[in-house]
Amino acid sequence: MSLRIGVVGAGGFGRAIAQASARNGHEVLVWSRKDRELPGSIRTSTDIQDIQSRELIFLAVPARHAAEAAGQLGTVVDGRHLMVHISRGLVGAELKTITQVVREKTVCRRLGALAGPLLADALAEGRPSGAILGTRFPELTRLVREAIGGSGLRIYETTDVVGVELASATVGFLTVMLAYAQEVGVDPSTLAVLATRGIVEVSRIGQTLGAKESTFMGLAGLGDLIAAVAGDQRPESRLGRALAKGVDLTNAIGEAGAYVEGIEVASHLIEHARRLGLETPISSTFVALSEGRISREDAIEALMERDVGKE
Amino acid sequence: MLKRFLSERPLRLPHLKPYVPRASDPAIFWFNSERDDVVAEVVNRICAAHETDRARLEVALNDAAFHEIRRLERQRDEEARDRLGYWRSMIRRIGKMDDIEQRRVLHTIVTDMTRDVAGNFDPRVYRFSRRAVPRLIGAVMEPRSLTKDLIGTEQNSIERILKVQGDLDHLRHLQNEGSLVYVPTHSSNLDSIVLSQALEMSGLPPVVYGAGKNLFTNPIISFFMHNLGAYRIDRRIHVGLYKNILKLYSQVMIERGYHSLFFPGGTRSRSGMIERRLKLGLLGSAVEAFTTNRVRRVDRPVWFVPTTINYALVLEAETLIKDWLMEEGQARYIIEDDEFSRIDRWFAFFRKMVGMRGACIIRFGEPIDPFGNRIDGRGQSMTPTGRTIDPGGYVERRGKPVIDPVRDAAYTRELGDVLANRYEQDTVLMSTQVVAHVLFRDLVASSPGMDLFARLRLRGEIALDRETLCRKLGEARDRLCALEARGRVRTSDVVKEDTPSELLDRALSFWSGYHDSSAVTLEADRIVISDPSLLLYYQNRLVPFAEDIADPDQLRAACEIQNLGVHR
Repeated sequence: MSLRIGVVGAGGFGRAIAQASARNGHEVLVWSRKDRELPGSIRTSTDIQDIQSRELIFLAVPARHAAEAAGQLGTVVDGRHLMVHISRGLVGAELKTITQVVREKTVCRRLGALAGPLLADALAEGRPSGAILGTRFPELTRLVREAIGGSGLRIYETTDVVGVELASATVGFLTVMLAYAQEVGVDPSTLAVLATRGIVEVSRIGQTLGAKESTFMGLAGLGDLIAAVAGDQRPESRLGRALAKGVDLTNAIGEAGAYVEGIEVASHLIEHARRLGLETPISSTFVALSEGRISREDAIEALMERDVGKE
Repeated sequence: MLKRFLSERPLRLPHLKPYVPRASDPAIFWFNSERDDVVAEVVNRICAAHETDRARLEVALNDAAFHEIRRLERQRDEEARDRLGYWRSMIRRIGKMDDIEQRRVLHTIVTDMTRDVAGNFDPRVYRFSRRAVPRLIGAVMEPRSLTKDLIGTEQNSIERILKVQGDLDHLRHLQNEGSLVYVPTHSSNLDSIVLSQALEMSGLPPVVYGAGKNLFTNPIISFFMHNLGAYRIDRRIHVGLYKNILKLYSQVMIERGYHSLFFPGGTRSRSGMIERRLKLGLLGSAVEAFTTNRVRRVDRPVWFVPTTINYALVLEAETLIKDWLMEEGQARYIIEDDEFSRIDRWFAFFRKMVGMRGACIIRFGEPIDPFGNRIDGRGQSMTPTGRTIDPGGYVERRGKPVIDPVRDAAYTRELGDVLANRYEQDTVLMSTQVVAHVLFRDLVASSPGMDLFARLRLRGEIALDRETLCRKLGEARDRLCALEARGRVRTSDVVKEDTPSELLDRALSFWSGYHDSSAVTLEADRIVISDPSLLLYYQNRLVPFAEDIADPDQLRAACEIQNLGVHR
């Protein structure tokens, strides 16, 4: 049965979702602030009211625009709508997840977060890939699989929504760090230690916010990180490489070619961990390094001189 | 013998002539005429869910027999002598029974269990209790007020103890339009009694609620609970069917428009903290009641009223915190030997409460629909910006309302999150809690590196001079008021209006002479912490706000306190 799908945001991911849905035979409408032309049967609109007729909505805007977009959606959606977001970020120092923001701004309750190693290009072209959908509503998983799944895309599901959102947001930061390490030429073993211990560190913080450890070790966390290290050319990787070349943080973010929230998210997570008395050696050292507060040598020394404990 | 008799067969008054409810009477006045119908509906729905699937039916019968045999073998009482033989003989025969006999046995078991659960409502008992009981309790607790209380010219003692807050006009309007489900925080076995009184004082109709069967062992309490609509929950029974019956009984009552009350925390907060982990079973029954009505095209909305019950002094504080600290909160689910069962503690408790202004505050929060949305004056669900929506949309698939238990379970979890947040915002912090927090924070700051249990052994070792304590108390109070202005929490009038010195004296007066051990003792002009566990209990209410109200030099101690609540 053909679904009426709405996509909010016409960036790379928004367009890819629209193309994948249209390819699966669904009726797609893309809303964006600017007038856009999209190929095939995909309709576009700048009037948020047009979203009201959709049954499944994909929110595909960067985290920093999520609150504004959710506010606009709040004027048109009601209890009938189901919504999935694909933002890889958190909002503000309170570390609000996007589903929390959407819950505050709209009456939509059947919510989910799509994450994992899925790339916009692969989705648009229908290349084999996988993703994870965090939702408490199995009917939403069914609809999302119907909309964009198929032979090319395997969509796994979990009820740990906050875990998916936190893992996805923290992988952004870890990607910056690992790209930095690769650029300065660390050994593969060092890279592996940084990646593994980094995931453990962020998952420990995530658990205090209600996430499950296993979600960080799955597609939303480790799976996504493997894709990033394997070289899928994310803006976070470009940022890490620029920092490694000695570019300062502001200019490095410019070189990344897209807004990267990883460092900001990490700073908020470190502050949260400090309040709880949790240690964050890897994140704290890298944030200090990226902000130019310590040298590379001091960073290595600070990490290597720490006591080694049980895994 | 008497205990079992009362617990099995609660007393009812004889009916010389049947009471005919008037149109203006609240829905619950009609309950007795519908009681058999409600029981039959629960029995039919439970049986229908099992009868089409022989395997499921056999599992249900085996599960019932297995758990009942295990329970009765442990109990070794008169009930065991009466019933153990029945269950043992049944479990042997289940496999040999044909379909018809299995269904008949199921019907018998479910009918017996449902009848045992179902409550009663006697308008005569209700009228008597609303008029006489508060005055009598007040008179007994405070003999000097006997004449005033019995004549009823002034506020009676209960009204002086109890303050009710919230938009009562809104609730009074909504109660005519749909089913109200009160979902309060739970600190004491007195809660359901206190809440019933608060409803009465607010002009709101009585509610149906479940009460542990252990509460029915006190003959007076049993008589009133049973005749005022309470249904009985026997927490010793672990049979799957029984749990389904309890849930469905609650659901059917809500579907039929009976206003209900249940405690989503499940059991009294052992730690004294505001509940965050809620039990979703009964909450789910209310969500499913909404869906079932929609599917049957019955336009009877269901609204939840998040309610906080705030005591300056908690009757069972010592037992509760001891239980939490022993990490036996789960194992000792039914505490039968706490202060609630000791009449001398009731007297001491009420005497203390009567002497203090506003010692218990019930705050009825803003009502919400099953999906966490606010309700306007006409009973319409609203978006955050005030647009009205039809909540029926939440249970629709392609434009049609459908029953989907998995979806409704997800809505229930979402609702649980909303309620937990509302409890924090609507908690009214009392004088004892604020004073306990400031003292406990000082104890934590004075014992760096110690774990909680080591700190609780610091009896009589930490002391503050009165002037310093009052200064810190004043600062904490000012920060709490700032939080209140931002809508994060609420404080009682005395916390807002008293000087720090008066606030301290008020808390000391509450604690002095009620609990077995005193939380603090006075030595000249110094306040010595003599029972850190009791302080912990009272201060735990402030755990979510500890960091926000801390002095900069006590931020570390406040963070440690706030961490107590990370996995609560």
